[in-house]
Amino acid sequence: MTSLLLQAIASGFLMGGVYGLMATGLTLIFGVMKVVNLAHGEMMMLGMAISYWLFTLAGIDPYLSIPVSIFLLFLLGFFIQRFLINPILHASEHMQILVTLGVSLILANSALLLWGPNIRSVTTSYSLETLWIGEIVLDLPRVVAFLFALFFTFLLYLLLKKTELGKAIRASADNPEAALLVGIEVNRIYPISFGIGAACVGASGSLIIPFYDLTPHVGPPFTMVAFTIIILGGMGSLSGALIGGLLVGVAESVGAILLSSSLKSVASTTLLVLVLLFKPRGLFGK
Amino acid sequence: MKYVPVLFGLAIFLILPVVVDSYFLTILISIFYYAYLSSCWNILGGYAGQLSLGHAAFFGIGAYTSSLLFMKWQITPWLGMWVGALLATVFALFMGSLSFRFGLRGFYFVLITWAFAELLRLITLSLDVLGGPTGIYISVHTSPWQFQFSGRGPYYYIILGLTIFILIISHKLEASKPGFYFKAIRENELAAEGSGVATARYKLLALALSAFLTALGGTFYAQYLKYIDPETTLGVSLSIEIMIRALVGGSGTPFGPLIGSFILTPLSELSRTYFTKGGLEGLPLIIYGAVLIFIVLFLPQGVATWMKEKIAGYKNR
Amino acid sequence: MSLLEVHRLTKSFGGLKAVADVDLWVDKGEIVGVIGPNGAGKTTLFSLISGYLTPDEGEISFKGLSLMGRTPHEICQLGLARTFQIVQPFPNLTTFENVLIGAFNRTRGVPEARLRASEILKSIGLFEKRGFLAKTLTISDRKRLEMARALATQPDLLLLDEVLAGLNPTEVEWMIQFIRKIREQGITILIIEHVLKAVMSLSDRIVVLHHGEKIADGSPEMVSRDKRVIEAYLGEVL
Ligand SMILES: Nc1ncnc2c1ncn2[C@@H]1O[C@H](COP(=O)(O)OP(=O)(O)O)[C@@H](O)[C@H]1O
Ligand SMILES: [Mg+2]
Repeated sequence: MTSLLLQAIASGFLMGGVYGLMATGLTLIFGVMKVVNLAHGEMMMLGMAISYWLFTLAGIDPYLSIPVSIFLLFLLGFFIQRFLINPILHASEHMQILVTLGVSLILANSALLLWGPNIRSVTTSYSLETLWIGEIVLDLPRVVAFLFALFFTFLLYLLLKKTELGKAIRASADNPEAALLVGIEVNRIYPISFGIGAACVGASGSLIIPFYDLTPHVGPPFTMVAFTIIILGGMGSLSGALIGGLLVGVAESVGAILLSSSLKSVASTTLLVLVLLFKPRGLFGK
Repeated sequence: MKYVPVLFGLAIFLILPVVVDSYFLTILISIFYYAYLSSCWNILGGYAGQLSLGHAAFFGIGAYTSSLLFMKWQITPWLGMWVGALLATVFALFMGSLSFRFGLRGFYFVLITWAFAELLRLITLSLDVLGGPTGIYISVHTSPWQFQFSGRGPYYYIILGLTIFILIISHKLEASKPGFYFKAIRENELAAEGSGVATARYKLLALALSAFLTALGGTFYAQYLKYIDPETTLGVSLSIEIMIRALVGGSGTPFGPLIGSFILTPLSELSRTYFTKGGLEGLPLIIYGAVLIFIVLFLPQGVATWMKEKIAGYKNR
Repeated sequence: MSLLEVHRLTKSFGGLKAVADVDLWVDKGEIVGVIGPNGAGKTTLFSLISGYLTPDEGEISFKGLSLMGRTPHEICQLGLARTFQIVQPFPNLTTFENVLIGAFNRTRGVPEARLRASEILKSIGLFEKRGFLAKTLTISDRKRLEMARALATQPDLLLLDEVLAGLNPTEVEWMIQFIRKIREQGITILIIEHVLKAVMSLSDRIVVLHHGEKIADGSPEMVSRDKRVIEAYLGEVL
C-alpha cells in the first residue's frame, strides 16, 4: 500500500508539473486582463491534436512538434483576444464567460467534425519505457513532460522578468492606466499576453500526447483542473500556479487510487468544490 | 386589447397539432420543452443574475427520481415528479447555502454549479442502482395515469401548458416584490443590501424556485423519451442548451427564453437531423458557439430587447 | 438614551487604524456633521454603523438595540439607511424602479410602495426622469437618486456620505434646503461632508475625525475655533 501510494504521489507530481505549465497560461491571461478563459481545456486539446496529427501524418516526434503547437496556439490566442475578447474587455464578467464558452464549443466541436469522436493515441518507441527509482517506477514520457514543463515555466519566468516585453506585460497587469501613462500600448500587450497564455497550454498538450489519449471532448476536465489550480494558487500568481499544479497533480492521483481510477474525475471535481468553498482566495490569500 | 395577440397566438398553438405532421410536432415539442427549461433558468440566471452552469443537475434529479420511483415501485410519475422537484430543491438549497455563505458570486458561482452538476453525473455514472452508464429504460404502460400517452399530441399539450405556466410566473414576477428584489441583486448586491433586501435569502429563493420547476421538466423528458442516461440528463451540454436560449432571446425578460428557443431549437433539431446523418456531428454546437459569440458582441441584451427597441423606434417615427 | 450610540469603535486595515476608539451619539431630530481630512476614517465609520464592515472592537446601538452582528439589510429594516460616497445605483433599472426597491423596505404590498416611490421622486425632483435608466443619469441626478432610494426605505436615521460633492453651487443650495426639509419630517441625519461651509450651516453639532480618532465634538462655532481641528486642516482649504 505504501509503495502504491508513493507511486501515485510520484506520478501525480510529474503530471503536476504539466498542470503547472497549463495553469500558468490561464493565470497569466487572468492576471493581465482579468479574463476567465473557459476554452482553456480545448486549447490543451488543440495542442495535443497538433502533435498527434504531425506524428500520425508526417511521423514527426511529438517533442519536435512542440514549437509548432506553441506557434499555432500563440496565433489562436492572439486573434481570439484581438477580435473576440478585446471588444468586451470592460463589459460585465458574464460576457467574457459567454464568449470563451462559445470559443470552447467551437473548438471542441470543430475537432469532432474534423476527425470524429474516436479515442486517438500516439505510440512512440519510448512510450512504454520506464525508469526505476528505488521501488518506484516512472514512465519515461511523464518524466520528460515534467522536465520540459519546468523548463518552459522557467523560460516564461525569464521572459516576464528580464525582457522589455515582460516588463510591459507586468506593468499592464499591475495597473493599466499607469502603464498607458509611461507609454506602454496596453492594447497591443493584451493580445500578446493572451497568445503567450495559449502557447503555454499548447505546449502542455504536446507534452502529454505521448501518454494521454486524445478525444475532442478531453478539454473540460482540464479546464476544471486549471481553474482549481489557479484559485488554489491565487488568481494571477505565477508561482502559485506551479505550486498549485503540483499539489493538484498529487491530490488527483492519490484520490484516484483511493477511489478507484474510474472515479479520478470525482477526486478533481471534489477538489474544485472544496477549493471554491474554503480557499477561494487561494492557499496564500487571506 | 393588450391580450388579443397573446390569445391569437395561443389559439394557433392549440390547433397546430391537428394540422401538422408528426415530425413538425416533434420540433414544436422540443421548442416548448427548451423554452420551459430556459425560462426556469431565467428566474435565477436572468432575473437574479446568478449565472448557473449546473441546471442539468436539477433536471437530472427530476428525471431520475420519477423514473426510479416508477421502475422500482410503480409509483406514477404524476406523483414522482413532485418528489423529484422537492429533492432538486433540497439539493439546490444545499449547494446554494454553501456557495452563498462563502460569498461565491459571478464566475465562482458558475464554476461551483458546474462542479456540483458534474459530481452528480460522475456519481450516477458509477452507481449501478441508478442505472450506471447505460441509464434507465422506462417500460411502456401506455396509460394517462402513468404519464404515458399514445402519440405525441398529449405530450405537446402538457409542455405547452407548462410553458404557459412559467410565462405567467415570469410575468407575475416582473411586477412583484421578489421580482424587483431579484433584479436588485443582479444589478448591485451592495446597494440591494443597503436598501433592505435580504440578498442571501432572496438568492436562495430564486435558486429553489428555479430548481423546483426545472426538475418537473426532467420528469416530462423521461416520460416523453422513455429513456434517460447520465450524459444527456446530467451533462454540462444540457446546462449549456438551457442557458444559451435565455441569453440569446434575452435573459431577465419574460419572453426572452421563448424567443431564444424559437430561434435555436429548430436550428439544432434540423441540423441534428441533416448533419448528423452526413457525419457532421459537431456542426450544431459549432453554430451554437458562433451564435453565442455573435449575440454577446452585437446584441448583448438579447433578441427580445433588441426587438422591443426596434418596435419602439417604429412607433416613435 | 440617544437614537444612535457608538462606543469605543475601532477598525484596522492591516496595520492602519482607520477608526480608532471613537465615541459618538446622535439624538433624535439632530443633524450631526462628520468632518475630517481625506482618509480620516469617515466612510469607514459609516460602513461600520451600517453593517458593511465588522468592527474589531466597540459597541454600536440604535434605538437601544445592539447592531453588532447584524447584516446591512437587517439594519436598514430597523430604520437606519445610508448613501454611498461612490453612488451605487441599479444601473439597468429605471429611476423609478431604483427607488421602488428601497420603498419595499417598510411598506406592505406593491401599490403602497409605488405610491411612496412616486412621492419621493416628486419631492426630490426626479419624477420627470422616472423612466430613465439609472446608468444614463447625470452625476448630480445620480446623487439625488442615491438619496431618494435611501429615503424610500423610510429611515429614522439617515447617514449621508458626501452627497454635496460634485454638485454646482445652485445644486448644493437646493440640496441643503432639501436636507433641512427631511429633518423637519422627523428624520435624524448624520452627514459626512467635505464642503465645510455647507456642513457648518446645516449641522447642529459637528464631529471631527483625524487619523481615525475623534478630535472634537461640539457646536459648529466651537469646533471651528478648536486648535486641534485647525491644525488637522492645515494645508487643506478651510
Ligand atoms: N477596505 C479597505 N481596505 C484597506 N484600507 C481601507 C479600506 N477602506 C478604507 N481604507 C483606508 O482607511 C482609511 C480611512 O478611509 P475612509 O474611511 O474612506 O476615509 P474618509 O472617508 O474619511 O476619506 C484610509 O487610509 C483608507 O485608505
Ligand atoms: Mg469617504
